Amino acid sequence: MTQRRAILAAVGFALCLLVPLVVQQDYQLNVLFRIALFSALGMAWNLVGGYAGQLSLGHAAFFGIGAYALPLFHDKLGVPIPLALVLVIVAAVAAAYVIGRVSFRLRGPYFALATIAFAEVLRLSVKNLEVTGGDVGLQVPALFGSISPTRWFYLAAVVLAAAALAATAWIVRSRFGYQLQAVREDEDTARACGIDPARTKLNALIISAAFTALGGALYASQYFFIVPDSVLAIDLSERPAISAMLGGAGTMTGPIVGAILIETALELFKNVFHEAFQLIFGVLLVLVVLFLPEGIVGTLASWWRRKRAS
Amino acid sequence: MASLFWSALQAVIDGLLTGSLYSLIGMGMALIFGVMRIVNFAHGAFMMLSMYVTYLLFDRLGVTPYLGFLAAAAVLFVIGFATYHGLLRWVNERSEFMIILITLGIAQMFIGGAQLTFSGDFHKVNTPLSGALVHLGSHITLNGGDVLSFVISVALAIGMFLFVMKSRFGRALRAIAQNRYAASLIGINVQRTQAVAFGLGVAAVGLAGGLFLPAFYLYPEVGSGFNLKSFVMVVLGGMGSIEGAAIAGLVLGVVESLTSLYWGNQWAVVVDFVIFLLVLSLRPAGLFGSQRV
Amino acid sequence: MTTLLALEHVSKRFGGLRAVNDVSFSVSDGEVLFIVGPNGAGKTTLFNLITGFLPADEGVIRFAGRPLTWTAPHAVAKLGIGRTFQIVKPLRNLTVLENVMLGAFLHTRDVAEAAARAREVIDFLQMSAVIAKPAAGLPLATLKRLEIARALATKPKLILLDEVVAGLPTTEALALAGLLQRLPEWGVSAVAGVEHVMQVVMKIAHRVIVLDRGALIAEGTPAEVVRRPEVIEAYLGVKYKQVTG
Repeated sequence: MTQRRAILAAVGFALCLLVPLVVQQDYQLNVLFRIALFSALGMAWNLVGGYAGQLSLGHAAFFGIGAYALPLFHDKLGVPIPLALVLVIVAAVAAAYVIGRVSFRLRGPYFALATIAFAEVLRLSVKNLEVTGGDVGLQVPALFGSISPTRWFYLAAVVLAAAALAATAWIVRSRFGYQLQAVREDEDTARACGIDPARTKLNALIISAAFTALGGALYASQYFFIVPDSVLAIDLSERPAISAMLGGAGTMTGPIVGAILIETALELFKNVFHEAFQLIFGVLLVLVVLFLPEGIVGTLASWWRRKRAS
Repeated sequence: MASLFWSALQAVIDGLLTGSLYSLIGMGMALIFGVMRIVNFAHGAFMMLSMYVTYLLFDRLGVTPYLGFLAAAAVLFVIGFATYHGLLRWVNERSEFMIILITLGIAQMFIGGAQLTFSGDFHKVNTPLSGALVHLGSHITLNGGDVLSFVISVALAIGMFLFVMKSRFGRALRAIAQNRYAASLIGINVQRTQAVAFGLGVAAVGLAGGLFLPAFYLYPEVGSGFNLKSFVMVVLGGMGSIEGAAIAGLVLGVVESLTSLYWGNQWAVVVDFVIFLLVLSLRPAGLFGSQRV
Repeated sequence: MTTLLALEHVSKRFGGLRAVNDVSFSVSDGEVLFIVGPNGAGKTTLFNLITGFLPADEGVIRFAGRPLTWTAPHAVAKLGIGRTFQIVKPLRNLTVLENVMLGAFLHTRDVAEAAARAREVIDFLQMSAVIAKPAAGLPLATLKRLEIARALATKPKLILLDEVVAGLPTTEALALAGLLQRLPEWGVSAVAGVEHVMQVVMKIAHRVIVLDRGALIAEGTPAEVVRRPEVIEAYLGVKYKQVTG
């Protein structure tokens, strides 16, 4: 990220923080909260799916772990909130390690299937176990005091998104970032350069999982109550992935663009065409794959590069 | 002691009955994923479509699902062929990533379309056979409809296996699977063969869908559970092995049934995934497969 | 001369096919060794065995005295063996510079340093014209040089070159061979190459070994080996041997 872009990002961040001064209604802040949150989730997914090139469709597992870890650590084990959030990260890292060690040994579609399988096992287990409240679910502690106005959640989501963007920027400019992309492009070539693909992918997954889990904890707290299907269902794996793909997997800002479009669309269609949004979602995905495989930002970037070369 | 045996046997037989339908789904996926290497995440959605078609035939025209499933399979063949020819063939050369995403999109389209057309209501079909009971000895009781489905499934499975293995079309398909370029050189129309094969794979799941209708509640998302199950069958049976997937279907049916018996219904689905992860970790080639994963 | 790489009775089977059959040879410090032989003789398999991409069924491979059994490819690379791939494997969506940097990253964490080293290597291989282009669009000859550049950037002690001049017109092949002779300037102690283009082999090899159907059938200087009857037979068949014999 060049100097100019960093300044732009900082300005954008500051503007986002100022939004609650202008937008006061809970409903709208809620929508903005979701946009910011799914931007963060999209960027987190992008590390694994975009830069490392591994199609994870099981990120809901980390999201759900974050969502459930918060009430489990705080309410059931009496851990204070700040420490509970740290433990959320620890839980996510541990899960990423297990899932990664098993799944990254698999190639291509088997990896995607394994991630789905892990997420589903988690969802069904949580559904059937008493300690997680089973079908009934769990109440989630409020992160920002007993009133916890929506704007604090919005601001926290913006901070999370900014952190994810910063992390992505740092990674992309570092040796790790290059190695991730090498693994994506050709694992054998990466090996010939001394890169251990399994370990590289695992490291990316761990970072991605940590951000995703924090997002899950934030989401859970905002909605105050969680059930397995609200935080572990496959659509929570699909939405960040699709946002990143639509915006441009493997670009830094792509997931943000994608998340803005998708969450806005979901919101609009929820009011206007309640049942149609899944259909439109599907059509959108098909169109993106057929005509815009690099996503919006990716296609623009390629076009720009071609113009400059000629 | 004896009653433990009989309840276990009942579970095993029930499992085989259900498993026979799984086998059809699995064989369809074996054709699509195992042979054509297309990661089809829309498999479950196709099944859902078939169930709706069969349901409509029953609801509007009074056609019993035990005949309607054939019509549904035919409709699904056309849909499958069109899906490949219109959408998938442009992406087939690209990465598996893209194929997964586009089939996911197609699945969402179908599910969304079903939601719009039929709303999210649950539908249940009751046929004269639904209540009929078949007794094997004094200890085993089976649902008449399930038994009929089983018989039909087994017949269809054998037919499908013979077709893929022995027919000219089947040989052409396997030639493409081994070496696409060489196959095109000897005059095989690769794209058309693949479109037909995809259509057949979808038709297979269409057959299963129609036969499943009497046993299940029908709603737009009903297919999602079968997606992963079909991949499990292909992996368990071994890539490229149609008969392996068929046997894997039976195995899954029995394992689920026994799990239900001893640990309760809710764990029956989990066991599918656990098997999947175990197979992928320990024996990626599957029970009958020979190809690398 | 110290032995850098040693293969002792190495065999590899694929089902019933013995791709590499009881092969033993060594490469010494300062040496340029070429492996020649008809197609399918097992040459690339040999490279895959040495670099850990395939496990040997029998025998031991030692690098600087240390056995490489069970060593994963990335670890082999870290030990100091660099390689190119016969069927080129560029990192398609990355530029030439970025491709070579990945090699340089083996010895540094610093991006600027890796870029600097990569530029040096790219310059040496006369690829500066395409340094900023994505690997995806480039012609095969350039991609073959890219393979060498990437391997060279990893500062290997031993570099394995798999058919790097294949398909090039002879003048270009010989020019590249001239560059290869300068590899010791880059810290490369020994070169092992697989080649079909005999002019290159004759020009720069110190020693040649000949593989046929997985077995080592001849070893010696290029001039010696080329005259051996079993070598002629392997390439041209028995009839020709009788004629030239």
